[in-house]
Amino acid sequence: MVVVRRRWFQTPWEFRESALFTAVALFFGFVIEYATSGGGIALPRLPFNAIALSVFAILVLSIGLGFRNTPAVKWFGGIPLGLCLIVGISLLSLIGGILPQGTVVSASLPARLGIHKIFSGWPFALVVLLFLANLGLSLSWRLVPFKVQNVQFILFHAGFWIALSCAVFGSSDLQRLIVPVEEGKSGSLGYPMESDTPLQLPFSVFLHDFSLEEYPPQLLLYDPHSDKLMMNKSKATLEVRKGTTASWNGIEVLVLDYMPSALPGEGGIPQPADRSAGIPFAKVRIITGTTQREAWISTGSPTLRPDAAQLENLYLIMVPGTPKSFRSAVTVQDNQGNAVMANLEVNKPVNFNDWKLYQMGYDEKAGRWSKLSLIEVIRDPWLPAVYLGFFMIMAGNILFFWTGIKRKEVAS
Amino acid sequence: MSIDFNTAAIVAIACWATGTLLGLLSVRTPALKLPGMVLSLAGSVVMIGFIAYYWALLDRPPLRTLGETRLWYAALIPLVGFLVEYRWKIGWLKYYCMALAGFFLCINMLHPEVFDKTLMPALQSPWFIPHVVVYLVGYVLLAASSVTALHNVYLQLRSKGNVTGESVSHYLALLGFVLLSFGLIFGALWAKEAWGHYWTWDPKETWAFLSWLAYLGYLHAYRYKIEQSKLQWYLALAFLVLLVCWFGVNYLPSAQNSVHTYTQS
Repeated sequence: MVVVRRRWFQTPWEFRESALFTAVALFFGFVIEYATSGGGIALPRLPFNAIALSVFAILVLSIGLGFRNTPAVKWFGGIPLGLCLIVGISLLSLIGGILPQGTVVSASLPARLGIHKIFSGWPFALVVLLFLANLGLSLSWRLVPFKVQNVQFILFHAGFWIALSCAVFGSSDLQRLIVPVEEGKSGSLGYPMESDTPLQLPFSVFLHDFSLEEYPPQLLLYDPHSDKLMMNKSKATLEVRKGTTASWNGIEVLVLDYMPSALPGEGGIPQPADRSAGIPFAKVRIITGTTQREAWISTGSPTLRPDAAQLENLYLIMVPGTPKSFRSAVTVQDNQGNAVMANLEVNKPVNFNDWKLYQMGYDEKAGRWSKLSLIEVIRDPWLPAVYLGFFMIMAGNILFFWTGIKRKEVAS
Repeated sequence: MSIDFNTAAIVAIACWATGTLLGLLSVRTPALKLPGMVLSLAGSVVMIGFIAYYWALLDRPPLRTLGETRLWYAALIPLVGFLVEYRWKIGWLKYYCMALAGFFLCINMLHPEVFDKTLMPALQSPWFIPHVVVYLVGYVLLAASSVTALHNVYLQLRSKGNVTGESVSHYLALLGFVLLSFGLIFGALWAKEAWGHYWTWDPKETWAFLSWLAYLGYLHAYRYKIEQSKLQWYLALAFLVLLVCWFGVNYLPSAQNSVHTYTQS
């Protein structure tokens, strides 16, 4: 068989032309990025981005349907260009996946090329736009004329088109602000992540109470000379409760008694106390070689000194457990008199008008005694469109799975 | 704790090893085939039993640390091998799968990880289990696809045609891709509830997107009728991207701000 090598730009165009085209697009993207000093791309906000996206979608669809037999259009909506653009997006994502993003570097060459904010830069925007055009063209040919066997293709590709385009074009309308509020006070100023200038919100948040629940405390051995915490022999995190045992080289510890919430009492014996004020106390028996002793140890708090047990030049300490859950009881209120009382908790955001409120953080130094709660408020008008895309992709995938199995059964 | 794991792991590896041995010997002595299969299967049953016991002990699904996810791979990868044998009568895949599972268990025995019951608030979500399980099964299928492709490459180099093997690696990649898509979208839906936005280009997200793109590229190349023999190389190597995504991310410079770095302490 004689292998005939295609010459450059011999029709129909295939991978070589597509790869060159993608490389040129990337090159231009980086040139524009460099020329604008790595400022990235500033997208317009509603309604202009929605108008731009609609015009783009109509343009792609009409070109696809009006010129479906033109070789250049066929190539532009074909798999070779699609694959090369996927490789282009992958290369940019690879940069974004390896180098830390968001770090501001001085006016160096990498900074001017925008490689530390690759996903908001010109090369990425350009390649994604071309990819959307490619995807849109191929979609137009499956949409008209409509056939039932194309439903899987349409759901997956249209879903991806909608999710990707709305996520990219809508990114300028995403608002994420942090509202710090103290117990018994209300806040209506939101701070953007990257600036100190607050924005006035169309509502206020009143914090009734912030509460935090911890996992049980843990036993550790502290070496003040090397400033190191030593894990016990079994390398397991030891939760302190009555009967817990732990061992380090030559040191055996048994927890004789445990009070999750207590305050120091007379004669060094702690007394049970209310959860809001008390701290965990444990009575431990320490056996080293032939000697044996007992001691009360505690985690301490911002106002109480922790109690540790000294063992020659080491200390047996009890550290507070990691946070299990934290929540803010709040009232959210707008100027029209709409008010909502809610418990904000991680993973349980609350909707108010077109905003979503999240429990974000607290004063970590104060731990469970924090009087401050950080609430993140987010508005993303494009979310329903992106979710529509997600659900279409999933529906398309279920069909893909199904038809994949059926085809295989026919084949076998 | 670690003693229990070592016992379970050694029993499982012993089952797989004897099963493999009997399976290989059954070429000459067919009577050994059934005990070989039973023993191979028993290895996975031991691991599944251990996971169930560990889950009960921890009071949370053992899906949080890298070591814990390796337990699941070790239990599930051989099952894919058995399923492929059952469905397509291809016997060799299960040996690779059992070897891979044994390898995962050995890593866990050499690096016993901290046994920690705590689950940080962001992970306490109804999305946690579906997101991780879908990904896990997806990775298992893609690992099997990659191993099949590697075997196909080996056969090619010895100039042996292998149409069934190529359709197996393709079909596993297809299934894996479907699950990766679900995992990615479940992750996005969860992220919206827990961290406020569905997509933030967190390094793990970026790498998950990259691995998804790698298989998206494969499916389109397949659709464009690129030679299957060339695509076997692609499938064999595509799993490397998944490996970076799975645990390589922790070692990349970009990982410093990730919410996905598994606890190593």
